[in-house]
Amino acid sequence: MSDSIGKNHPRRDAEDKLRGRTMFTVDTDTGLMLHAALRRSEVPSGRIVSMNLEPARQMPGVRAVVSAPDAPGMYGVMVADHPLFAVDEIRYYGEPLAAVAAETIEQAQAAAEAIEVIIEERPPLLTMAEALAHGAPELHPDWRDYELLAGEGARKGNVSWESTVVRGDVDGAFARDDVTIVETLFRSGRQNQTPLEPRAVIAHVERDRVVITTSTQFPWSVKSGVARMLGIQPADVRVLVPAVGGGFGMKWEMSLEPFAALLARDSGQPVKLVNSRQEEMQTALCRENAEIRIRSAVTASGEIVGREGFVLLDCGAYSGEQPFLASMVTHTLFGSYKLGSARLVSQAIYTNTPPNGAFRACCGTYCVAALERHTDEICAQLDFDRYEFRRQNVLGDGDLGPTGDVFEGDVLGPMLEEMVALRERSTRHQPANDRLLYGTSTTVGTWFILVGPSAATVNLNPDGTATLVTAGVEIGSGSTMQAIPQIVADVLQIPISDVTVREADTDAGGYDGGVGGGRTTVSLGAAGSRAAAEVKRKMLEVAADMLEAAPGDLKLEDGNVVVDGIPSLSVTIKEVAAHAQSNGGPISGSGSFTGTGNVGMVGCAAGHYIGALDLPVFAVHECDVAVDRDTGHVTVLDYRVVQDVGRAINPRAILGQVQGGVIQGLGYALHEEVTFDHLGKSHQQGFETYRVPLAGDAVPVQLEVYEGAPSMGPLGVKGAGEVPILNVAAAVSCAVADAIGRTVSEIPLTPPRVLGLILERDGADVELPHVATVWRDAVVADAQQLLAVAPR
Amino acid sequence: MTRHASTVTPDLHVPQTVQEAVELLADGAFEVLAGGTWVMRGGIRGEGYADGYVLISKLPDLTRLGWSDQSLVIGAAVTHAQLATFLTGHTRLTGLATAAAKSANPAIRRAATVGGNLSTVDFPAADLVPALLALDAQVSILDVDGERVLDLVDYLASRTTLSPRTLLTHVTVTVPPGFTAQERLTMRSAGDYPVGIVSTNVRIGADGLVEDATIAVGSVEPVARLWPSLASALIGHPLDSAFAMRMAHDLKGEFNARDGIEAAGWYRLQVLPELVARTFRTLEREADLR
Amino acid sequence: MTTELTVNGNLRRVHNPPMTPLARVLREDLHLTGTKLACGEGFCGSCTVFVDGDAKASCLIALGTVAGSSVRTVESMASPRGPLAPVQQAMKDMDAVQCGMCFPGVLASLTALLDEVSHPDRQQVEGALVGNICRCTGYERIVQAVLGIDRTANPADQTGAGA
Ligand SMILES: Cc1cc2nc3c(=O)[nH]c(=O)nc-3n(C[C@H](O)[C@H](O)[C@H](O)COP(=O)(O)OP(=O)(O)OC[C@H]3O[C@@H](n4cnc5c(N)ncnc54)[C@H](O)[C@@H]3O)c2cc1C
Repeated sequence: MSDSIGKNHPRRDAEDKLRGRTMFTVDTDTGLMLHAALRRSEVPSGRIVSMNLEPARQMPGVRAVVSAPDAPGMYGVMVADHPLFAVDEIRYYGEPLAAVAAETIEQAQAAAEAIEVIIEERPPLLTMAEALAHGAPELHPDWRDYELLAGEGARKGNVSWESTVVRGDVDGAFARDDVTIVETLFRSGRQNQTPLEPRAVIAHVERDRVVITTSTQFPWSVKSGVARMLGIQPADVRVLVPAVGGGFGMKWEMSLEPFAALLARDSGQPVKLVNSRQEEMQTALCRENAEIRIRSAVTASGEIVGREGFVLLDCGAYSGEQPFLASMVTHTLFGSYKLGSARLVSQAIYTNTPPNGAFRACCGTYCVAALERHTDEICAQLDFDRYEFRRQNVLGDGDLGPTGDVFEGDVLGPMLEEMVALRERSTRHQPANDRLLYGTSTTVGTWFILVGPSAATVNLNPDGTATLVTAGVEIGSGSTMQAIPQIVADVLQIPISDVTVREADTDAGGYDGGVGGGRTTVSLGAAGSRAAAEVKRKMLEVAADMLEAAPGDLKLEDGNVVVDGIPSLSVTIKEVAAHAQSNGGPISGSGSFTGTGNVGMVGCAAGHYIGALDLPVFAVHECDVAVDRDTGHVTVLDYRVVQDVGRAINPRAILGQVQGGVIQGLGYALHEEVTFDHLGKSHQQGFETYRVPLAGDAVPVQLEVYEGAPSMGPLGVKGAGEVPILNVAAAVSCAVADAIGRTVSEIPLTPPRVLGLILERDGADVELPHVATVWRDAVVADAQQLLAVAPR
Repeated sequence: MTRHASTVTPDLHVPQTVQEAVELLADGAFEVLAGGTWVMRGGIRGEGYADGYVLISKLPDLTRLGWSDQSLVIGAAVTHAQLATFLTGHTRLTGLATAAAKSANPAIRRAATVGGNLSTVDFPAADLVPALLALDAQVSILDVDGERVLDLVDYLASRTTLSPRTLLTHVTVTVPPGFTAQERLTMRSAGDYPVGIVSTNVRIGADGLVEDATIAVGSVEPVARLWPSLASALIGHPLDSAFAMRMAHDLKGEFNARDGIEAAGWYRLQVLPELVARTFRTLEREADLR
Repeated sequence: MTTELTVNGNLRRVHNPPMTPLARVLREDLHLTGTKLACGEGFCGSCTVFVDGDAKASCLIALGTVAGSSVRTVESMASPRGPLAPVQQAMKDMDAVQCGMCFPGVLASLTALLDEVSHPDRQQVEGALVGNICRCTGYERIVQAVLGIDRTANPADQTGAGA
């Protein structure tokens, strides 16, 4: 019998990685290839008066130079507002102006330097406050003309997208005389993904098609994006993806690929383009910075009768993921708890800073932090127990979600109870001395699986093994190389080592919505499982012929097809495969999957790509901290997680994801900081100042997986890789606030920031005067209209 | 001196003797290359390179490390790792040992030299500098005109004008009669550049009172320096971290703390008394052990 | 200019300028891409290799300074068809590997540690890794794997340590 499910399988790619044999895109060398460099802007805002590429063309070794006229279109995620090269307008420091390919990287860099650019500089809008100030210039004066690629949201000036929610009578709730109104502010910084492998690509032209080898999470989006920017058919682009050296969301959107493709087309040679660490620090598609005001009307018995939220997300110079994420604020900031009524406005704002993007649990991290700080403040002001209040108010079976969608199953409540049990059986560290302030927290969070289209093919080979073909990428989490073959092996009842995995190739694997959003195990897993089921059905038919039995009487067991109840009557899968070769032909199966497209209550949500969650995922995190009152250092003493995984098909792999995600979250909560100088240049140009956690900053995470929550995933799984980072900033912020007895409204909680709070220094408290207080005034859509269509 | 973008490739000269090295440096076109850990970052940081480098890390005269009478002589090309290993167990040089063992990371410590640490002009957070200041170290420098011995304080003050024609050959430290301790505060607990460093050297009399003290502070100002007023304030008092902290608090206004990406000036000043106290807590433990 | 050095036991001649970082020579000229080059400034540790027995950041080593030296990279930790080195095997057994970019450097730093201290404690392992960034794993398995090598190699140490 196949024992693939619920077991700790080793990773098939580990040994090569340990021997230094794995070839990542950065390691790939095709021989005779050219090296490319980008000329990037060194001002944050301005008009290109002139650009002369000739000097670069004259430099030694140069084979191709391209710029805006070579790639006229625009791209984006929801709004096509992003040109490949700055066209007339420069909108951020680091924006590409031209690209050069030469025989050596030094020659390419020298030629890129030699390009003559004259720029008329403008004062930049570096913060959302500046971009929203009265009379601020528009970063995109042509915003009205931009093509919408997905969904529809209100837009105006520097508001690149607006998502709103209206459910129930919020004004009425806040006007009740039996409620207390609690308001919380929260501000969070950017987080750079800093995968150790930077973005990198090699492009060449083969039989009139562009072939791209790249470090991406989403090959099919690279395929369509490159085609769009080159003005060719998607069919004329092939994307191959070797092992990816970390992504964490940064490699979700297309980035360097079109540059290399243009240069390869122009030069007729393979072209390699790799971002330097400094370029990655400046232009990573970071988790966006955000500013939040949230307020609630709560009764003395602890019922949340109304909640209102105002959220600004910084999209940087181009909108990218942020319009989508503006709507995901709904499901995170307004998720987890039962709300009598709800009203939210969430806006993605253009600024003259590098564009932001997706990062593991995206906006969820800071929304959960803001929400949980708010929850603790409600408890403090109304004198509720922090745990009991949550236990009473978390969403359960049949409760309404933020947009009026009905939640299925009691999940968060039992998970909170699991957490109590976990806490009670864990050993907890005590702070070492009285110079340390001790604090603790319990937080809940809601995230989702980005279900969506995936295709898979499974071939049964003549030797009885199977080959799994998808466009799924292995980014390090193990989902593609480990989880999906595990699911296929289970269906076919063969050892997991008998399932070969084809590396992602858009010429081989069918469409797939990308590795990210926790979707791989669910969507690709479901597609793979269905493909394997088709193979199984065909195998049973062939075996039925061989055994002279009805297919319905057969079952797969331990590499054999067996007549149910008569173990002596069986054939091996290998024999079935061989028999099929000459009887009907080789066996293969295909499978596909997509989400259901839940939308919530009609009229509740506007500007939402996802109106309601198809597949929510929940997490409960606790942490104990010690804060040094003399230096402001926060030490995490213990960290506990209860995570909803649907079903744990490989518990050890899940713990690996949770440990990694929590530590990444500790970096976000405590010391990873992105700040800009007056030119919008990041102060943090490398690991010298961008402080990711090191081994000595990590703590062992104690995990309890929660199984049994409803899931549409194969075998009931949910993705486990994205969620671990969701609650970390929340858990740390709440614990630090508990320790120091002050309001904590900002992350990262660096030692200076924490010490500033302890000392009550001027400016230590967050003030957000530009974040609106009146919903009707804040929305750029027609507020009356939104209220009129909303369900009461 | 001219600096070139990374596309111009500098020469590397490998002299066989110190004298040869000094002659190569004489016309000011070339710079010293020791462990290379600071120089080699120049390319990707857009700081560029000199026309050429003179490799000194393998010159036997500069790699010696040992005792001469009551003094410790540390060759300029001795690495942090070698120094840390050598000092293990030397209780009177705990401060210097801590500095050598805790700075940077293991791979850097195996390459970065003592001379390089004292000569990186644009680096305020060098760990060895306050440690050696607190020990009243002397440095020997050599150029074509001959050798000179300077107090470290004076070397620090003249570094920019001396280099690049001068070679630091070794550092001499007299073993103190008392005890030393060093504390560094990093933003990330696992370690990075210290935002403040305090190195303390005290001698306790038979009456248990501080007879003599030298205190050095690194990373707070652009260049590490001594804190004589605090040292005098402590003389004649018992070894007491709480008292030292109070005095440091009263006197910290003497510093003009620098703002940096890692931390603002106010923060460096604010934590200074605590760092002083931490060195004293270490010294209290050492005194107790005695 | 030609530089001669021994890499993984073989004498190699390379022709790069003397200030070229060793990491680039290993990767681009000798095609030993197991050595990574993820920051170029000595902070991430992914380029750590052994030079004459010392584990150092090869991004900060000028080629000209290692003429005549012996360099060992991750590719020589185990013979190609032979078993993994104990520290590699421990990582595999512990399921420590995720994206894998940091491991060549992590393995070098840990090998150096185990050469110096045969029974490192947790703090020593963390200290050995101050210059190695891993963005995926959260380090715990790496640390556990090293502590585990100690235990299996020296079963006697498991008991009585705290007595
Ligand atoms: C990743 C990283 C982390 C670091 N963290 C720390 C830290 O935490 N604490 C700390 O103190 N330091 C830290 N450093 C700095 C490190 O200590 C210095 O780079 C190192 O000491 C310089 O020594 P080197 O031998 O490598 O010098 P090189 O790079 O060879 O030279 C540095 C400079 O000194 C000059 N020079 C070198 N030797 C001499 C000499 N004998 N005479 C005259 N001039 C000379 C050179 O010309 C050059 O200008 C860090 C460095 C790196 C790369």
